[in-house]
Amino acid sequence: MVDFHWNLRGTCYLLGDDVPHADGVIPQRFIIDRETDPDVLKRHLFELTDPGFASRCKPGDIIVAGRNFGVGQKSTGYIAMRALGLGVICESMPTQGYRGAIYAGLRVLAHCQGVTSMCSNGDDIEVNFSSGSFTNHTRGLTTNWRPMPQSLQDLVAKGGGEAWLSAWWAETTSSLDVPLSAKPEALP
Amino acid sequence: MGYTAIEKVLSRTASRLGARAGEVVHPVPDLIMIHDGIVQSSKVMLDKIGIRRLSTPEKVMMVSDHDVLYGSAKAAERGSFNRKAAREWKVGHFFDAGEGGHGHIFPMEDGRVLPGMFYFDNDTHATNAGAVGAFGMRLGLEITSVLATGTTWIEIPQSIRIFLKGLLQPGVQARDIGFYLSRLIKSYALPINLDNRVVEFAGDLEQFGLGERVALCSSPTEMRAAGVFIPPSEKILMYCNSQAKTAFTPVYSDDDAEFESQHEIKISNLQPQIALPGGVGNSVDISEAVGTRVDHAFIGSCGSGMYEDLLTTASILKGRRVSPEVRLFIVPGSQRSMRKLVEEGLMQIFVEAGAMVLPPGCGPCNDAVVGPLASGESSISTATNSNTGRFGARDARLYLGSPLTVAASAVAGHIVDPRSFAADEALTHMKTSAYG
Repeated sequence: MVDFHWNLRGTCYLLGDDVPHADGVIPQRFIIDRETDPDVLKRHLFELTDPGFASRCKPGDIIVAGRNFGVGQKSTGYIAMRALGLGVICESMPTQGYRGAIYAGLRVLAHCQGVTSMCSNGDDIEVNFSSGSFTNHTRGLTTNWRPMPQSLQDLVAKGGGEAWLSAWWAETTSSLDVPLSAKPEALP
Repeated sequence: MGYTAIEKVLSRTASRLGARAGEVVHPVPDLIMIHDGIVQSSKVMLDKIGIRRLSTPEKVMMVSDHDVLYGSAKAAERGSFNRKAAREWKVGHFFDAGEGGHGHIFPMEDGRVLPGMFYFDNDTHATNAGAVGAFGMRLGLEITSVLATGTTWIEIPQSIRIFLKGLLQPGVQARDIGFYLSRLIKSYALPINLDNRVVEFAGDLEQFGLGERVALCSSPTEMRAAGVFIPPSEKILMYCNSQAKTAFTPVYSDDDAEFESQHEIKISNLQPQIALPGGVGNSVDISEAVGTRVDHAFIGSCGSGMYEDLLTTASILKGRRVSPEVRLFIVPGSQRSMRKLVEEGLMQIFVEAGAMVLPPGCGPCNDAVVGPLASGESSISTATNSNTGRFGARDARLYLGSPLTVAASAVAGHIVDPRSFAADEALTHMKTSAYG
């Protein structure tokens, strides 16, 4: 986990309440097609609401959103955000969307009441997703949010659900405590 | 301060004494349910990693309900894949197409989902388990992690308690309560957000048998509730005891449990509801929709697929004919109900009325893999939701109603108030003993 950066510092990208996942975060066609390739998805983040965003943003930039971010229970766009090296801090998001964001390995804080009033678009902001600390360098303002739950940090640091599962399996099979019957069958 | 039912169940399964809403825990479920539509995606992912065995295969129930008839070559291939997966994974409880029935229905009827249980499921309407005082929680494809490791994370939901006050009038059913509740929430008349909340019903619940309790679970789930909980009555416990495949201990919220909020809904004057196209939150009193022509009707789904719902349907169809302008599909929730349909004469009523009975499962409610609509057509059904395109054509208009309303409308050829149709009394009376 030493290589994983819990601290992001970058430009604030401010959004309001109830941004829909389909078309608001990423074009609906990628959701319908069940596209999961980060290299495909990352070019289309916020494409319909802010053309050019994907090429303009930089790793470390932080999306700050209001209530009910990404409403619609889909999570395709979070794969794109992770691929672009972005983080998300919002006032609330649907639980299934939050699960999807964690599963995609996204650095996200989802219970930050009032965060949208603490920054403006383009501010220089910094968030530590592990400790919950938040600084708006432009305004000289610091606060603390509820950090990402400890038990989810491992999931995100390992790269999300599927990557975590691969790592878990590698650890499980290398452990001497595991009976041979639980190991993957040898290839013929 | 006492505990809510969901706090108790998750404390037990996560071995975290005193766990409270808001905490993230890793419960070890009593059961892991996976439905036919997602097995392939799950297995492909595990195979890619090299995981070829499940953590606790004896706990896994694989059900075949979303696509039972194999209306396409792709569906047949999927069925074949699933059978092979069940063998390779050594799945403890595999129900192939034509066995068991709907995964959100037959396990309760058969005493496999029991009061106080907790399970993970890939599918949203696992919340039906609340009808017997159990919890099933939806994970989507994340069920794959549970298959492999035996658990995953969950943030313990807050509970919202809703008291139902009064007795429903004849002609009004539990699905109508769900539609009405959704309408109150969508219009902010009831200022609650059900996202990751458990809806716990209270109040005058004795009037609801098992089938009506299942129906109560449906619409709150569409409004994003993580769970629905209906404290099991003596009668429900007796039925569960008579069927139980394993020992169980019912749970109830403590008197001094902390609910996020508590509300009361008077149901004694409730009118039958119609959910206008677009979702359960678009519900209106039936008088606003009467006369709307329909081409297609469907009674079934996890919201209305219990034997009581079939008795309701038969009580309207007996001695009547489905309108020649309407095709009516009836989908029992389980093989058990299918057998009873034949034994108790309901099948004959359906056939003589001109209805089509499909094999147990989701029926048209799974994105219309059977019984779709053509462009420009209208449907009235007991499906769980009416999202655009759910029954095929995106411009089709989908209305939802109770089983009584759908049956009566199928006969009339347009949406009709079921209270204007005399229901067969003997069949109506049989509902009281449908489950014990």
